[in-house]
Amino acid sequence: MLTRSLKIGIVCPYSWDTPGGVQNHIRDLAEFLIAAGHEVSVLAPAIDESLLPSYVVSAGKPISIPYNGAVARVLFGPVAFARVRQWISQGDFDLLHLHEPAIPSISLLACWAADGPMVGTFHAAAKRQKIIFAIGPILEPAIEKLSARIAVSEAARLTLTDHLDTDAVIIPNGIYASRYAHGTKQSKWQGNTIGFIGRFEEPRKGLSVLVEALPIIARFAPDIKVFVAGPGDSTDVEKSIDPQLRHRFEFLGKISEEDKADFMASVSLYVAPNTGGESFGIILAEALAGGACVVASDIPAFDDLLGHGEFGALFTSEDSTDLAKVIIDLLRDDAKRQKLSEAGKARGQSFDWTAVAEQIYSVYEMSIVGSEKVRLASDTRSWNRFLSKDDK
Amino acid sequence: MINWVALAFILLISLWYLSFTATRLDRLHHRVETSWANLDVLLQKRAAVALEIAHSDIADPASSMLLTGAAYQARDADIKSRSQAESGLSGALGLLLEDSQHLATAADNVLLTELSALTDKIRVAIAIHTDAVTRTQMVRGKFVVKVFRLAGTAPLPVTYEFESDVL
Repeated sequence: MLTRSLKIGIVCPYSWDTPGGVQNHIRDLAEFLIAAGHEVSVLAPAIDESLLPSYVVSAGKPISIPYNGAVARVLFGPVAFARVRQWISQGDFDLLHLHEPAIPSISLLACWAADGPMVGTFHAAAKRQKIIFAIGPILEPAIEKLSARIAVSEAARLTLTDHLDTDAVIIPNGIYASRYAHGTKQSKWQGNTIGFIGRFEEPRKGLSVLVEALPIIARFAPDIKVFVAGPGDSTDVEKSIDPQLRHRFEFLGKISEEDKADFMASVSLYVAPNTGGESFGIILAEALAGGACVVASDIPAFDDLLGHGEFGALFTSEDSTDLAKVIIDLLRDDAKRQKLSEAGKARGQSFDWTAVAEQIYSVYEMSIVGSEKVRLASDTRSWNRFLSKDDK
Repeated sequence: MINWVALAFILLISLWYLSFTATRLDRLHHRVETSWANLDVLLQKRAAVALEIAHSDIADPASSMLLTGAAYQARDADIKSRSQAESGLSGALGLLLEDSQHLATAADNVLLTELSALTDKIRVAIAIHTDAVTRTQMVRGKFVVKVFRLAGTAPLPVTYEFESDVL
């Protein structure tokens, strides 16, 4: 680890008030770095500026644009650009860490405006999009300024190499593994139970695949119970369930972090039937750390996270028959379940912040050379340098 | 009149583009240099650790000799033979580590953990450096860069061939 205390500027592209994986990652990283004795300032769009923690600086109100199959709350435009420039020139940073700099957001603006040690983290995994090839030549000179690139998963790295023809170091998202490692087994969630956590209303979370698989599972395990946790309105989903099986589902609403740890320790199987759009799968890392036996769809991010089946069982994505088969197989085989959850728990530890932050840190270390600081790019352009010579 | 304005406009744009590309190239060269400096420091450190390992009890006399030779070669190699020498050192370390893991004592373990931490960092540094080099080569291959000699006198960076399975 670096011995001197650094001044680090982190740019979050998405609105700080809306929940999301990138925001959580930045929050945890910033808090970890502050605890390690560094000075951190996070620039993020925000709807309500009064609710921001002390280390977050608002860049203005976000606007909603459709992106990658969901609505992204981001910010750009001349006013935002001025704010970004002001933040950079006043911050006197040793290093900038930009998240998701390839989408139209303040991260891209910061990448454009700054010069000096910069690290970029790419979160998204998307299929090949033609639009990127059109705007690639504009993005390239900006993305190229990053001294080092981090991708959160193999899927995210492939997206990056496909679209922008540049390589990245893979560093996974971090979790506080110890928070999940000591959950107590709660009898209400034990037995032949399946757990699911997430915004179940979103189709890409794949709850419907599990719903379709249940009739087959119920034939072999009549006492099966499914617990669904996560924010959202369950009435529509409940209507889609076979009335005879409706009482097998229980919707718990949003649960606390402590409950999550108990939940992961208690359920027989944790199922993640996501159909795509997932680049890392933080919830799976948490489930592993909590000691749950995990069953997940074989989308690239999950396949990678579960070590191709070594740390959890995989089924063919969107195939409810295959899901039912895998679940029944595991419910009948206690030894196999035990083995997977033990291997998974060890795997979960590798996503702990202590390990992840150290890796991010060594990338920081490599980007900072000497005592060079982050400046505005316009200050270093040759004609400006030429003009300002007269003043000195 | 319109023609003249259009001509001036085009001239201005192309001048801006040339200056922009030159700045971009300058930045890339800078990136290549700094990432190489990083990698160089890490490799030097690795050679030092390798020497220490060679002098410790981990290595038997034969592999100690091999390792010492490889470490000195890696240290003294000039830029052209550097890559080959470093790969040789990787090979020597790999050979040694393969069959010494079970008999290492606590004191030697410190060396081995240091080595594995260094190896992780070197892997990252190689990735960063390789990326900088390929980007630079790509931009330097552009038509404008060649015609207007935007690269100036900076030497064309060479890809550092590293065995991808470093340790």
